[in-house]
Amino acid sequence: MLKKVLNKNELFLFLIIILLIIILTSFNRSFLTLENWFDMIKNNSGMMILAIGFLVILLSGGIDLSFTSIGIFCAFIATDVLVSKNINNMFLAFAISCGLGILMGAVNAFFISYYKIPPLITTLATYAVYNGGLLVISNNRSFYAAELPLWYKKFGAMNIFTITKPEGDKYGLSIYFLIVISVILFTWFILKYTMLGKGIYAIGGNIESAKRSGFNIVKIQFFIYCYMGFLAGIAAIMETSILQAVVVSGVSVVDLSVIAAVILGGGRLSGGYGKILGTVFGVIILMILNNNLILIGLSSFWNEFVIGFVIIIGVIITSIQTKQKSRGISIIKI
Amino acid sequence: MTNSKIGKTILDLRNINKFFGGVRALSDFSMTIEEGEIHCLVGENGSGKSTLIKVASGALKAESGDIYINGNFYKNLHIMDAIKEGIQVIYQDLSLYTNLTIAENIAMNQLIEKNLKLINSRIIHNISKEAINELKINLDLEMVVENLAMGDKQLVAICRALTHDVKLIIMDEPTVALTRNEIELLFKVILSLKEKGISTLFLSHKLSEVFQISEEVTIIRDGLKVGEFKTNELDNDKLIFYMIGKKIEKEKYSYDEDKNKDNVLLEVTNLTKKNNFKNINFKLLAGEIIGITGLLGSGRTELALSIFGLNKPDSGHIFIEGEKVKIDSPQDAIKLGISFFPSDRTIEGLFMKKPVDINLIITVIKENLNKMGLIDFRSIKSRAKEQVEDLNIKIPSLSAQITSLSGGNQQKVALGKWISTNPKIFILDSPTVGVDIGAKYNVYSIIKKLAIEQNMGIIMISDEIREVMENCNKILLMKKGEIIDIVYPNKTSENEIFSKISGTSLSNN
Repeated sequence: MLKKVLNKNELFLFLIIILLIIILTSFNRSFLTLENWFDMIKNNSGMMILAIGFLVILLSGGIDLSFTSIGIFCAFIATDVLVSKNINNMFLAFAISCGLGILMGAVNAFFISYYKIPPLITTLATYAVYNGGLLVISNNRSFYAAELPLWYKKFGAMNIFTITKPEGDKYGLSIYFLIVISVILFTWFILKYTMLGKGIYAIGGNIESAKRSGFNIVKIQFFIYCYMGFLAGIAAIMETSILQAVVVSGVSVVDLSVIAAVILGGGRLSGGYGKILGTVFGVIILMILNNNLILIGLSSFWNEFVIGFVIIIGVIITSIQTKQKSRGISIIKI
Repeated sequence: MTNSKIGKTILDLRNINKFFGGVRALSDFSMTIEEGEIHCLVGENGSGKSTLIKVASGALKAESGDIYINGNFYKNLHIMDAIKEGIQVIYQDLSLYTNLTIAENIAMNQLIEKNLKLINSRIIHNISKEAINELKINLDLEMVVENLAMGDKQLVAICRALTHDVKLIIMDEPTVALTRNEIELLFKVILSLKEKGISTLFLSHKLSEVFQISEEVTIIRDGLKVGEFKTNELDNDKLIFYMIGKKIEKEKYSYDEDKNKDNVLLEVTNLTKKNNFKNINFKLLAGEIIGITGLLGSGRTELALSIFGLNKPDSGHIFIEGEKVKIDSPQDAIKLGISFFPSDRTIEGLFMKKPVDINLIITVIKENLNKMGLIDFRSIKSRAKEQVEDLNIKIPSLSAQITSLSGGNQQKVALGKWISTNPKIFILDSPTVGVDIGAKYNVYSIIKKLAIEQNMGIIMISDEIREVMENCNKILLMKKGEIIDIVYPNKTSENEIFSKISGTSLSNN
């Protein structure tokens, strides 16, 4: 029975989510309120979007460690352009950020597909180059709330609908939710209903066979790394709008939460395996853990520890599932 | 020797010459395959079989020679040409996507060919359903290939080949990783392909299969075509002769049990382990070669592992030279003079990336230390050299990596490793699996020599009945964990042994 549940990966994750909700709510009622959840959704939209992009790359057997520096780089350039030219246009900001993100992702794809440099090394290198490059270009100049074009604040506060509490303050479901849902659905569609999607899985499953089958490996790899850059561009602007700042500190960290979420969701580092739904659940679990440990009295210092722990658990579960399945029994009937 | 053939010729190779650098891989090679023919290409490892199918499928370009497919002449055959003409190759790795479902695997190449951008599960299902219906097999199309047994994976690969309007399926050693049942199933499928007019060319070095399924046999040796025969014109001895170019001396192993009956090296009484084996009783005398055979799952390997300390029995006793012993680990076994040669030389037998000499002496490395306790490389080299000469191992050099040796020579190194320990009792589990015919007989003579010259007691476990018949003076038959009979090769036959261990009889030969 336990084995069956473990094998239905997504079901297992869903149960974990329910379990977490129950435990946390029992500690603190305010966990299970719309206000808390709308807040979590808004604050973690960036992570969700990045996780989806990361999943796509992982499926192909690749990896991308540069997406955080792509993100901040794009946010900087976009904001810099808007501020210096005194333009207050949201769409322009997104256009610059996403366009630049695609280009930066293309650089990754170029080295990976033409020079056959392993994705791990390539993206580790570009991560450093983009990060350092940003410091140089920006001259360590950051943007803070006062200088940001007005729409950043408006966009960050925009809600799909708003609810007013009896005390008078308001809260609502952020428009970020729509963006996240769109990214999830779009990516899901590509993976499930297009040859491009099948090609991504094929490369991750058996790249030699994919070549023999006739897939355009280069084209597919350009798509996935550029897509990640594109999504990093979107997430970066969204984050900037929440933070009301673009902080260039030179201290950028490869975002472990995103990787943890995808692996917890069933994505395999070796490639070829992983589902959108699993990743969504993985992000939700991390979202719950990231923001709410305080409710059970654990300070934010515990966050990284818990995330690391979660990655280990996720990897162990995946390996148990793989072991279960590798006992091949013949299912042929003639 | 030519045969008159009727019907359409699918593949016609004429005077193919292929060089790799200075080495000639194929020499003036010609071969034809007719419609609906089941043709076997037989040859030792390195004889040029793989090169030939790569040339026939357009994966490699021959230096000279002509290729006709379905009557069409091709000066420079490309892979796509061969595929369009209906030639499909299934390599040993099967080229399947283990992370995708059976349906997706079968349909994949079609989907790409049709140049679709959008797809749905309906299209995939239809394409794959059509293919498996053609073979009249029942597969759960939504199952992920990773979870399948080897035999099923093979069938998926064949179904995929069928989606291309195929005329000739070429299979590279399809039975290597299959169980007996799966092999029978594969042959049924090949026959039903024949009924549809689809020809099969398969590469093999398992002689029993050649006789079981093929109609025509082409024998290749050192890149040359030795001959093309109708299968029923050949027998086992002729086939081996053509394959390796010389006659094999096959002598049974004779042994005088009475003379040696006091020289008991190993005695096993009432050895039992739940779900493994039950009430095992036998004696091994010095200089004896005892065979143990039985179907897969009969407990042969489990028994051997118990004697070597890797599978502790629940009850029963083991006596070494008259003394009762407890063997709880391989180290205990080695101390008592027992050596074990496992069935998988690559995983359990050899350090694939290490050099030959290290592999040969690793078991006795303690004897190759100098006064300070450090490794004495000179002593290692000289010991290794001795072994290589004794066993006639063909190596580029003593420091060559194991992976650079042929299968048969790798096997000899693995054997040599355990012979180094100078065991009194040597247990061999499937010692010639995956090894060429020529090398097989080499290994047999090494084993016989050990028994005769060094008075070793040898237990040979094998599922090739012929092997134990030719090399052992006594054979223990195992079935479902018990010894059901003890037979003597000069008083029984292969057929008889087979019917005892399986409860049925061999269909032919």
